[in-house]
Amino acid sequence: MPGKRPRGLGVPRATRGRGFKRVAAMAVLALAVTACGGGGDDGGGGGASSDEDAGTPTPGGKVIYGLEAETTDGWCLPEAQLAISGIMVTQAMYDTLTRPNAEGEMEPWLAESVEPNEDSSVWTIKLRDGVTFHDGSELTAEVVKNNLDAYRGAYPARSPQLFIFVFQPIESVEVVDPLTVQVNLSQPWVSFDATLHSSGRLGMLAQAQLDDATSCAEQPIGTGPFKFSDWVPNQKLTAERNPDYWATDAAGEQLPYLDEIEFRPIVEEEQRRNALESGEINAMHTSIADTVDEVRTLSEAGEVNDYEPDEFGEVTYLMMNESKPPFDNIKARQALAHAFDFEEANAILNAGIVTQATGPFAPGNIGHLDDSGFPTFDLDEATRLVDEYESETGKDLEFTYSAVNAAATIKQAQLVKEQAEAAGMTVEIVTVDQSTLIDGAISGDFEAQGWRNHPGGDPDLQYNWWKSGSPVNFNKFEDPEIDRLLDEGRTTAEGRDEIYEELNRRFAEEIHNVWLWYTVWSVATAPEVHGVPGEGPTSEDPFPGIASGHPVGYMWVEQ
Amino acid sequence: MPVLLRRLVHLLVVLFFVTLFVALLTSMLPGDPVDAIAGFASEEQKDVLRQDLGLNDPLPVQYGRWISSFVTGDLGNYYSVSGGRPVMDRVTDSLPVSLQLMVYAQVLALVIAIPAGVVTAYRAGSRGDKAANATAFGMLAIPNFALALVLAYYVGVELRWLPVSGYVPPGEDLGEHVRRMIMPAISLAVGQIAVYMRLLRSDMIATLQEDFITMAKAKGVSPRRILWRHALRPSSLTLLTVAGLNIGTLIGGAIIVEVIFSLPGIGTLLYEAISARQYIALQSLVAIIAVGYVLVNFLVDVLYAVLDPRIRHART
Amino acid sequence: MPAHDADLGTAEPAATLLPTAADDAGGADPGTVASRGARRRKLGVSGYLAMGWLVFVTLAALLAPILPLDDPDENVAAIVNQGPGTDGHLLGGDSLGRDLLSRMVWGARASLLLGASSVLFGLVVGGLLGLSAGYFRGRADTVLTGAFDVLLSFPQLILALTLVTVFASGEGTSATRRMVVLILALGVVSIPVLARITRANTMAWSEREFVLAARAMGAKDRQIMFGEVLPNVLPAMFSIALLGVAVVIVAEGGLSLLGVGVQPPTPSWGNILAEGRAELRDAPHIVLIPTIVIFLTVLALNYLGDVVRARFDVRESAL
Repeated sequence: MPGKRPRGLGVPRATRGRGFKRVAAMAVLALAVTACGGGGDDGGGGGASSDEDAGTPTPGGKVIYGLEAETTDGWCLPEAQLAISGIMVTQAMYDTLTRPNAEGEMEPWLAESVEPNEDSSVWTIKLRDGVTFHDGSELTAEVVKNNLDAYRGAYPARSPQLFIFVFQPIESVEVVDPLTVQVNLSQPWVSFDATLHSSGRLGMLAQAQLDDATSCAEQPIGTGPFKFSDWVPNQKLTAERNPDYWATDAAGEQLPYLDEIEFRPIVEEEQRRNALESGEINAMHTSIADTVDEVRTLSEAGEVNDYEPDEFGEVTYLMMNESKPPFDNIKARQALAHAFDFEEANAILNAGIVTQATGPFAPGNIGHLDDSGFPTFDLDEATRLVDEYESETGKDLEFTYSAVNAAATIKQAQLVKEQAEAAGMTVEIVTVDQSTLIDGAISGDFEAQGWRNHPGGDPDLQYNWWKSGSPVNFNKFEDPEIDRLLDEGRTTAEGRDEIYEELNRRFAEEIHNVWLWYTVWSVATAPEVHGVPGEGPTSEDPFPGIASGHPVGYMWVEQ
Repeated sequence: MPVLLRRLVHLLVVLFFVTLFVALLTSMLPGDPVDAIAGFASEEQKDVLRQDLGLNDPLPVQYGRWISSFVTGDLGNYYSVSGGRPVMDRVTDSLPVSLQLMVYAQVLALVIAIPAGVVTAYRAGSRGDKAANATAFGMLAIPNFALALVLAYYVGVELRWLPVSGYVPPGEDLGEHVRRMIMPAISLAVGQIAVYMRLLRSDMIATLQEDFITMAKAKGVSPRRILWRHALRPSSLTLLTVAGLNIGTLIGGAIIVEVIFSLPGIGTLLYEAISARQYIALQSLVAIIAVGYVLVNFLVDVLYAVLDPRIRHART
Repeated sequence: MPAHDADLGTAEPAATLLPTAADDAGGADPGTVASRGARRRKLGVSGYLAMGWLVFVTLAALLAPILPLDDPDENVAAIVNQGPGTDGHLLGGDSLGRDLLSRMVWGARASLLLGASSVLFGLVVGGLLGLSAGYFRGRADTVLTGAFDVLLSFPQLILALTLVTVFASGEGTSATRRMVVLILALGVVSIPVLARITRANTMAWSEREFVLAARAMGAKDRQIMFGEVLPNVLPAMFSIALLGVAVVIVAEGGLSLLGVGVQPPTPSWGNILAEGRAELRDAPHIVLIPTIVIFLTVLALNYLGDVVRARFDVRESAL
């Protein structure tokens, strides 16, 4: 239907589903295999960077950044479902109201201050003065209110889907004065400021883009360090320096340093690697262990700069559907957990560089535990459980494993199948395309899928993935303990470490997911390209995690 | 010409059934397109979306709506909650890439095959000829994607002579454009070279035995003139016909080569549409390819009938 | 050698226009109808080599379960991406540490099964349709030819890709279902070509005197079609069948690269190659070995197909 935009999906709140926080991982699941954090041998804390003493940034130059995927749906942020590749581009052209600091705590970024009241049920956002969007319009409270309304489904021109659930606890958003917005919540929400970041997804759009009925997805207008220039899907997206950018670095220098940035989606790992080595691109990210390993070697030889943090990563896991057999039975889940041979998987799939995950929170994140009590590899135990399951239910323990049609995910699926079958289970691999996988997850029409999710940041961001009845609780489990802990974590300012550690242990007990390993992300740049991951919101020290992208405004090229 | 008219009608009928067939197939794709674009919306919201996209209408109505815009050049829009982009936009970005690839492959193949065919025809039966034929036969057996992968590895990765991915428009940087199209073009051309060379050779051999050639020889015309001036033209008819008809093979091969070398052409677009359950886009893309192919076939037929008097007369 | 069959109105697929390998072997001389028919050539060295390879590959595929091979699914970390000769593994290991030789042998089963079944399907259906079209002519012929035209309007790979995606890519697809759909899809895609050739040959043979005589003597159509015409058409069909198997084996490779080939972990030559694509830099042998095997198989099939055709081709008389 030419040009016709579907009528609003914003229906009255009464009919909306339960709230949830994070959008994450829609396309992330396309590559559900990776390795994570090099186990701390990089001298503790913060990232492993071969680029520590790069010197003073010089202005000028261009970065061509190779991404792992294209974001075909475009840049209408309230309606988009961005994965890391999309977030990277968003980081270039938009700013979020808050941003994490070196310890992972939220600090105001585009906002001047973001303050809760006593019980965190009312949040006051004060904006910076004098900030303009790329089209010259001013950043005002009115625009920010419209943005927040758009994200939560209360702005008629836009029809968000996931964000509606994320922002369900918002009752109203008010303009207090031209630079102050007040958000009134239906309950205390201590980490609302983390949701205002949403891993870099919640960019503030110009009014013109918010109101654009037909090309919101193709004409991004933000306040960010770079201004949108051109986009040819599957080829490249270019953005040029925003000369009126409001932010400076810690030394007071105007950002950004680069004249231009270009993003190129190169899905094939080998091709991206080759492109970097041959100079076609001068920066790239990767989460495939083989590539990370290669990058390490190149870095040691001085041929690239690499940044590979071992904190705030994300986790790769097997997601099981608990609403139907066989995984409605805890014995089946336990059997699968015990059948997983991490050492073999690490050696064969991950070039030996990942560390085993025993819970959803990677090292550095709140709630992380080195040992949560999660089942260890024990083939005998697995076999015993399989037999028990079979005598209990009278059926064989068999299931289908859905994997996306990508080299890495299919490899993982085959290995998992081998290991599960060693314990007596029967596994059928189903290779599907992305749409089908998501479809299956939403409708509960799957048995096991390989996933990668829960990158670092505030653990409350995972709320909706695990809350009973949430539309993105794909496992479809209803665990009252987890519900309780999630709500406690959201509303209690104190003792959150303990709350989420308990949550971690509960996962280990109930085995809602079989945790595999922590994903390793690595950013590799040409030797003359620096500035990854940049700086923090108010200090030189950046937030070390890159599992959901990193700022690009601090990148620079040696002239 | 009544014959031409009959063929035209036949063409239109075929095109109609082609589009019908495409619409039927895409309607049977598993999965719900609404789930693909608005997966987390509530059932009500999804129903509204279905209504807006016309997915609740009976199939013939949907087909009618699609085909009526299709013939006017409106290929529909991608489904998107944010206001879908017209399919035509993506097609205009991608089509040149694929066309360039196919044209380069054809030209490359002909440039090598024609001289090879002429020379081997002239020296039919010689050792060189036998060797050339064996080589051609071997080239036929190489799957184009395997060749693409092997080339990408040796030339791109090992020797680093050429880049193995990405596309640069000729307007932007002709040198880079050529560098990126060489290996894909070669991968597609190799199989064609063999076919064309042997075809031309066979035709030339037959032509060279004709009377008018003997006459020219008797008159003392140089062998080179005979070959290139007198014999080549009538013999090339078949070759050109087959070259035209091979577009179909090229299109199929082009898809895989595009995927291997990351060229953002129609093949990639098609693949993306399938993965994202973009029904309208998929329908329009497959229809365009099929329609294009049918039209080329038709034109080649007409051209051939016009050029070759034997066929025109044999039709009675 | 005109490209057009006057009655078909459109050109034959390129494959049938090729001068045959048999021609080349004996020296290039297109010859007349008579001399063609009279050339009862013996199978040369190349012919025996081709047959030998095919027999070898088929036997390996058939005997795979009883051959002393490693488990094709077993993962051995030590041989991940290791080249031929490592640790006693003749062809090395693939990206998951599985013995490549074993996978290639088991892969032969999938690839050859696919090739043979889909061509058989195409032959039976296409052959019957072509036979009917060529024998009965008239309206049946027009409708059938129209249907073939519609199918032929799609580049074959695209049609196959669409068919497999439509029927075998949903969440519930089992490996068996994918295989069945592949066989049928590739069969369907080959039907128009097979039908066309059968039709052309049927028409040629139907004009012959003995057919007219049989009809005059009151024989039923069905008897004539299957008793008189078919046996003469079969050799040409057989030749095309051999070429067809080659095409299907290659097509499966293409479909695997696009993600809809034989479903892993069941190996096929095509999906071994496709999986190897991600490891080209570290382990090129995973791509090279199936490439070589496919190349040799296609070469052998093409050669034999041409030899058979040279013996029995009567297309000349269609004019």
